[in-house]
Amino acid sequence: MKWRKAGWFLLPAFLLYTVFVVYPLVSALADSFWRWQGTARGGFAGMANFTGLFTTFPLNHQLWPAFWHTAVFFVGTMVVQNTFGLLVAVLLTELRWARRFLQTVYTLPYLVGGLVVGYLWSLLLSPSFGPVNATLEAVGLGSFARPWLGDPALALPVVILVNAWQYVGFPVLLFGAALAGLPPEYAEAARVDGANAAQRFFRVTLPLLLPSIGVVSILTFIGSFNTFELVYALEGAQGNQPTGPGGATDVLGLIFYRVAFQEGGVDAIGQSSALAVLLFLFIFGIAVLANRVVRRREATLT
Amino acid sequence: MRTRKGFAILGLATVLAGMSACTATGSSGGDDGGKVTLSVWSWRPEDAATYKQIFAEFHAAHPNITVDFKPYKSTEYNTILSTGLTQAGGPDVMQLRSYGLAQPLIQAGNLVALDGKVTGLANFDPTALDGARGKQDHKVYGVPLEMSTFQIYYNKDIFSKYGVTPPTTWDQMIADAKTLQGKGITPFAAAGKDTWLLPLYDDAFAATRYGGPAFEGKVLGGKAKFTDPDYVAALDVMNQLKPYFPKDQMGLAETDVQTLFATGKAAMIPEGSFALAPMKAINPNLNLGVFNAPPAPGALVSNPLEVGWVDASYGLSAKSKHQKEALELLQWMTTADFGHLVADDLKQVSLIKGVQSADPLLGQMVQDYTAAPTPYLMLVDFRYGTPLGSDLEAAGLQKMLLGQQSASQVAGDIQNGISQWFTP
Repeated sequence: MKWRKAGWFLLPAFLLYTVFVVYPLVSALADSFWRWQGTARGGFAGMANFTGLFTTFPLNHQLWPAFWHTAVFFVGTMVVQNTFGLLVAVLLTELRWARRFLQTVYTLPYLVGGLVVGYLWSLLLSPSFGPVNATLEAVGLGSFARPWLGDPALALPVVILVNAWQYVGFPVLLFGAALAGLPPEYAEAARVDGANAAQRFFRVTLPLLLPSIGVVSILTFIGSFNTFELVYALEGAQGNQPTGPGGATDVLGLIFYRVAFQEGGVDAIGQSSALAVLLFLFIFGIAVLANRVVRRREATLT
Repeated sequence: MRTRKGFAILGLATVLAGMSACTATGSSGGDDGGKVTLSVWSWRPEDAATYKQIFAEFHAAHPNITVDFKPYKSTEYNTILSTGLTQAGGPDVMQLRSYGLAQPLIQAGNLVALDGKVTGLANFDPTALDGARGKQDHKVYGVPLEMSTFQIYYNKDIFSKYGVTPPTTWDQMIADAKTLQGKGITPFAAAGKDTWLLPLYDDAFAATRYGGPAFEGKVLGGKAKFTDPDYVAALDVMNQLKPYFPKDQMGLAETDVQTLFATGKAAMIPEGSFALAPMKAINPNLNLGVFNAPPAPGALVSNPLEVGWVDASYGLSAKSKHQKEALELLQWMTTADFGHLVADDLKQVSLIKGVQSADPLLGQMVQDYTAAPTPYLMLVDFRYGTPLGSDLEAAGLQKMLLGQQSASQVAGDIQNGISQWFTP
């Protein structure tokens, strides 16, 4: 009797989850095994859609650079966004005034869509009319003016920086909450023992933060490997051409978008579904693995 | 199985509707007397107001048919259309992309072939109908709406200020460019961020070098390849022009270079007929002229060529419940009346025979194209399979201009990519 009642309560969530999460995932998996002519399904394709990703020129020449760029994007975001976010979070907990206000300020760009942020920054960074280069020239640093989004060496770092600008509020909030949850006794004890600020941070606070650093890292990983809209807004996506100057900012999410919507291939559904399945398996696999590692670390802490 | 039966029934209905429409076209106020609203989709939100007037004229002549014009954002249109055509609430009549990009819809059976149903198709050249022709069944699935030409615009005021005239030889063009550069003016406002423009630049500047339509015939017939020295040399022409492009080219989008040109910071811009209105919008006082690039060094064609292609057609959804009325609308779109509305109100180049544009600049573009046409090779012939030829050349030319690839590497990639699906 009790169980039946519980079932009724679970039913709405179960239905929603099935319809909006399980069904699309399973149907993408199914679509990836069939041949497609536009939106009409043809015969069974076996693994052809999957092997096609790695054998069709120029896709096979785009996949690995894009994977590499995505990995660099992840590492760059970890280094720039999350370390800076941690620094800000630590400083904010020390702050006596304006803490709430600054937290809001750091989180604000997070509330604006990636397309909007990308568009704004592409205007700011425009080589001919953008205020960034105009400012550099006005203060006599004209030699530093660059086509920021059009230079193969600079494009990816610039994208990482803009992304960090947008999402820095995320680590600030998460680390802030974790820091607020740390018992003050540990730091106090260390202080009494004569540890200076740096020692207190690296020997006491940081190890205690490891679980939340793990969570932030996993979420950053998932976010980075799914990244799309910001790069799209900054660099565009055309046909099946790698995005960015000389393909410098091509990431996996953009390859999926191009294959699915832009390239105009009659077999787009099969090929893009295959890519989506691979991406899902990779991200899911790494996330599960990383989660297990973090859990184990957490267990050793207590 | 069920969907296949559905298509068969639809096909039958289409044929029946088509037969009745043949007798009904031109006449209005049929016996059925039922009022019908046709949903027409397009990727031109900027034309919505003009289309309202255009379809009001159609409604005046066909009182039982009202047209509901629904424009969508150009960059999202393909996706919206391909889903819209398979579900309820889709369009009856819709704007179609051209050549290879129309094929997925045709092959999925979403469109109705118009041969024999729209008699007005005779008002077009066969090459104009190629834009909406099925690659496999050779049937026509769309009424051509407009074409685009691509040429070099120049700012007449800047030219006369510095004593420069539109060039008749390649050397004169380079000398002009040097003069202008010496005065601190960018000679050619060329974009590099919107890579789709790069193959067009190459056709505009160097179609003469690879031979234009003659090369097209050879490559389609299997007698030439993109790796042939003439095509490689034509790609390399872009390297020779690079000094006269903006130094931050790869950071500049199409709108950026249009602004550079319209505000007088650049003297020339390779652009399409479709760019005339937007550039005039930036600066209404712009005093413009157009010319085609003189034959490049070593050119196989000794006169300037103008690049052109069919840009859009209007097609009929196989799912439309108003096949007869939709065919009436499509038939009307083949008339000179409609052609003049396209030329004068939409300010596009109509493809209907005998329709001339009132705008002198557009008029000259049409004239130049008719006199010495060359196709936008990668769009017209090499978008029937993936990878698209236009994408291969665009990505390759960008790398070449960044110094990451040589012209022969670009040509090799184009040949390699296209040969995956193209057989002469």
